[in-house]
Amino acid sequence: MTDSTPSQSVYFDAAIETMARADLEALQLERLLEVLPIAYERAPLIGETWQAAGVHPRDIRTLDDFRERVPFIDKDMIRAFRDQRGDPFGGLLCVDPHDLTGVGSTSGTTGDPTLVAEQWGGGGLTSPSIITRDLWGWGVRPGDYVMLVLFTFRGPTYGLFQHSLGTTPILFDFDPAEMERFCELSLEYRPTAVYNFGSVLINAVHEVCDRRGLDPRDVFSSYKGVTFAGEPLSPRARTLAESWGVELFEHGNVGDVTGSFECVAHDGLHAWEDTVLLEGIDGDDDGRCELVATALNNHIAPLIRFRSDDIVRLTTEPCACGRTHARMWPVGRKSDEVVVEGQSVLPLDVWGAVESVDACAMGLFQMIRPVRDVDRLRLRVGYAAQWSSRLDGVRDDVRAAVAAATGTEPDVELVPNETLLRLGPPHKIPRVSRT
Amino acid sequence: MTTTEPLWAVGTYEDGRGVRVPWRISHAEIGRDVAAATALLASLGVDGRRVLWCSMLSQAGQFWPYVCGTVMAGARLSCADASYGEAMRVAMFLRLMDYDAVFGVTEALLDGLSATARPAAEVFADVRLLGAHPGAYERLVEAGLSPVRVVLCGPALAIGHEPDGPAFVLADEWDVVDVEGGIGITNLRPRAESFLRTPIPVRGTIVDGGIVPDAASGLGAATNKE
Repeated sequence: MTDSTPSQSVYFDAAIETMARADLEALQLERLLEVLPIAYERAPLIGETWQAAGVHPRDIRTLDDFRERVPFIDKDMIRAFRDQRGDPFGGLLCVDPHDLTGVGSTSGTTGDPTLVAEQWGGGGLTSPSIITRDLWGWGVRPGDYVMLVLFTFRGPTYGLFQHSLGTTPILFDFDPAEMERFCELSLEYRPTAVYNFGSVLINAVHEVCDRRGLDPRDVFSSYKGVTFAGEPLSPRARTLAESWGVELFEHGNVGDVTGSFECVAHDGLHAWEDTVLLEGIDGDDDGRCELVATALNNHIAPLIRFRSDDIVRLTTEPCACGRTHARMWPVGRKSDEVVVEGQSVLPLDVWGAVESVDACAMGLFQMIRPVRDVDRLRLRVGYAAQWSSRLDGVRDDVRAAVAAATGTEPDVELVPNETLLRLGPPHKIPRVSRT
Repeated sequence: MTTTEPLWAVGTYEDGRGVRVPWRISHAEIGRDVAAATALLASLGVDGRRVLWCSMLSQAGQFWPYVCGTVMAGARLSCADASYGEAMRVAMFLRLMDYDAVFGVTEALLDGLSATARPAAEVFADVRLLGAHPGAYERLVEAGLSPVRVVLCGPALAIGHEPDGPAFVLADEWDVVDVEGGIGITNLRPRAESFLRTPIPVRGTIVDGGIVPDAASGLGAATNKE
């Protein structure tokens, strides 16, 4: 909390969060002009890509110059640089490797993970503006308990909950087996937020409450917000959570540069534009575009004009919450799309159909995508153990439900839920598999 | 000890029956643990080198002092979950960079490596300090490696200092003791939650103040296993 921010304010940092658009863009330009020479001179992937395009940092004086002239990079370029040059950081590192305090990694759901250089206390993915401003906006305050249901591979991140936000985390693995403990400790400590939930865990809470005779409305009665992330919430899980009175907040990635969160207006996910420059490219008539992100406060290994592969809708119109920073609505990933005889199918298109079958209520499935264009949709679908003696019927039900939802009848391979959960973390099991 | 100040976290540990129970952790005690873990890691010679910690978030009360201590000791930190699905991340780190130490290897991680045709003997071949939980420890020895022991002792973590030797909890903070039918743990300095000969799920022998677990002992180390 900044000194100027009274604890009853809805903003953690009102001056930044509600900054006028022109001032915000001026701040972005100032930060951009700091980071570009560093990236050009020290990050070989950036320098070589710009030189190939005939662009130099001195050519960039405005945000329009940047958008018109600077070449894109993407994850395949980073991986190719890494593999061909033997540079583990993919040509992005701007500091001596010995000056790093740590090396993290991206989630890896789009292929193999890539490295994230870290300097504790240095910006980037560990910037306090991520999470802190967002949870503050929901009403979370110092002294509150917050349920952390998370993975560890970004180890330093959860220090933000203690030191920036002043809350006490209660620690869980992202595992359905943890949900009994989650319910018990929710009733004991009365936390105000969850970071992070997902469809699998909401279904597990439902099962625990049924079995233990707990009232899920009571379990969640103290919460001001429950975050879900990694993948969209399934229709069944959303309906369940909302029936318990849970206020859900979507959280997403912003091109591996930073994070984005819904605010209390629930009208898109805010990205903090003092830390990231956003663009939408290749837009269609429905306003959908590919998200491109540039890091503004990362001088260690900044991504510059990074094509995220994420399809979003994007606006810079002010939000009803009073914040002026951009909002986005995630639609899907380009690399997840399967085209069956000319028809586009995304994981979200089959999700509701899969989980409508009782044996598959956990909504665990993968689309098999050896190539983008296929003759027939293939699904690998998880089932609950108690259905193992009735799999022929389950397969028929899934096939019929997906056909009704998408207009294309799939081939269905059934596997136990545990087989897919092992691929986790389950908030983000790979929804698309080559094999 | 009771306190009205915000806690650092509510962690979890496994009691003598292997049941997860909540564990209140104060800022003061985690600060002491970080300082002690820093000193230990410095004595193990990790300064200027890379260290990978494999653990689960629920175990942060036990592992955070070492995770944070790694940075404080001048080493460069990486983290992964200690689960089957994270084997690809562990393998990726070790493929791309040299690691002086990897701590927290579980049987689940080894299963994940096997399932993706990555022999542990190759993945960890160049690691000087390879710390593994019971079960994984024996498998790594069978694979021809020389691991040190990593043992979750309820709310504390014990780390071996040399291959084949016992694993030690932080000496100023904890003591492992024989209790009837097993091993217990006692805190030596004030904590938000007190432990007095509290049974832990590990079965084994106390040697020179450290613990040598029986093979495949130590619940809580295996995750995401079928």
